[in-house]
Amino acid sequence: MKSEMVVEGEKFSSKNRVRADRTDELYADIPEGETLMKIEGLTVIYRSDDKETLAVDNLNLEVKKGELISIVGPSGCGKSTILRCIAGLLQPTRGTITIGDKPCTTAGSDRGMVFQDFALFPWRSVRSNIEFGLEVAGVPKEERHARSEKYLKAMGLQDFADARIHELSGGMKQRVGIARAMIMHPAVILMDEPFGALDAQTRNILQESLVNVLKNSHRTIVFVTHSVDEALFLSDRVIILSKRPATIFKIIDVPGERPRDRASPEFTTLRRDILDYLESQNVMFESEKK
Amino acid sequence: MVTIHYDENNRVHRFIRSIIILALSLVAFVLIWWFVTYMAELNAFPTPDKVFDALIALIRDGDTINHHTLGEYVKSSFSTFLKGFLIALVVSVPLGLLLGYVKPLREFTAPWIEIVRPIAPIAWAPIFIISFGLNLGPALVVAVGIFFPMLTSIIFGVQRIDKTWIEASKTLGAGQLQIFVKIVLPATVPYILNGMKVGLGVGWMCIVAAELYAKQLGGIGHYLLIMTDNGLWANAFAAIIVIAFLGIVTTGVAEYVSKYVSRRMGMEA
Repeated sequence: MKSEMVVEGEKFSSKNRVRADRTDELYADIPEGETLMKIEGLTVIYRSDDKETLAVDNLNLEVKKGELISIVGPSGCGKSTILRCIAGLLQPTRGTITIGDKPCTTAGSDRGMVFQDFALFPWRSVRSNIEFGLEVAGVPKEERHARSEKYLKAMGLQDFADARIHELSGGMKQRVGIARAMIMHPAVILMDEPFGALDAQTRNILQESLVNVLKNSHRTIVFVTHSVDEALFLSDRVIILSKRPATIFKIIDVPGERPRDRASPEFTTLRRDILDYLESQNVMFESEKK
Repeated sequence: MVTIHYDENNRVHRFIRSIIILALSLVAFVLIWWFVTYMAELNAFPTPDKVFDALIALIRDGDTINHHTLGEYVKSSFSTFLKGFLIALVVSVPLGLLLGYVKPLREFTAPWIEIVRPIAPIAWAPIFIISFGLNLGPALVVAVGIFFPMLTSIIFGVQRIDKTWIEASKTLGAGQLQIFVKIVLPATVPYILNGMKVGLGVGWMCIVAAELYAKQLGGIGHYLLIMTDNGLWANAFAAIIVIAFLGIVTTGVAEYVSKYVSRRMGMEA
């Protein structure tokens, strides 16, 4: 469907693309918990031949440094659109996105992304996929190798370093995807339903892996999901979007340190509350419909 | 009585099966050929036994009229073919990548390609030989034949590239040139090889056309033409078999390389 849509300003120059790694160090002067990224008046209108569709309507959001923020909402509500705008893969019709005080116009290595369908390069080995960004940034081979070694270990991929992508299971593939984004130390990591293509068990295992990795390496993450459970398990704050056009319906602060107990009364109450909020707005989630 | 169970999962079984099918197919082919030519009694369609004798004579004694060995003819044809292939490769790969990647350029040049593509390579033969001489002319005729299937396949391949690969590389900082070198080029390799496989088959069709006008070069196509001119049909068919054999070997190698590389790269074209 997306390919039929002509998006205003879809193409932009790669001239100003950020190529460096460790872009998180550019914002070292912003303390943890302060606003790192600002989304102001974000509006996206999709145009097809005969009609205009308002996908995101005047959305404002501040992302704090070091937090994991989840965006949940019904399918097709525009949550991926928001993420693609932040990534610079889609140009918003109106509104600005700034990191620190630097506006994000084109895609770059300061906003790493993990894709739902992995988007790994099948002609490269696991290690070479993980090192792609460093290679592009011109990091010398020895350093690349040392750094990828660390991430292979952290994601439990050490035995698969030389494997080809098609030899991996879905869960393993997304471990590579996460390592590939994290190794760059981007200012913000964007995750677009990263576990959406995985079965429930693999999903839980990967959520726990992600929590483990974040314990040793603090990152700012914007996480899009349609699972309330996943959002509550992982995030510091949950942003609940309305139906299309996407506006912020409610923001919930999730208490408790990670890893969280999914069976705790606190967790289940919060989960029930969010689902109630959504039902009261006639917003049904695909996963909860069944 | 011995019964043999065919096991689809056994590599040796599969290989033996394909060999048996090939052998039966060839035997049936020869039998039909024999039957048809024997019944029809056409002068220009010799029966397989006569062609077989001529082929053996050609392999053993060479061309007794012009005093050349088969090896000399094959070598000459093969060198023309190889030159043509290299020209087609060197031109089609960069051009195909460029036209696949740059949409306005592709749209602008599409009519040119559609105008030139349907022209039969044999029509180019005299033009190329007069314009570029005996060294380059025949090779160019072959190159034209190989060029278009390769170009089409490469352009198609570039357009088929998974958009998320490009997006992922952008979020990892790759600029336009890096995307081209590190994503577009490797992602198109299976299509380059597939186009090559198709093109090589067409290339052998062009050999006879090229050698029709390049008499001085010799070559197996030239031998074929001398034989038909003199009504030595069995010898002409022997030459056809030699050309077919060369074609099967080259496309077979290309097919193997194409499949092997695509599998190694984790991509099936």
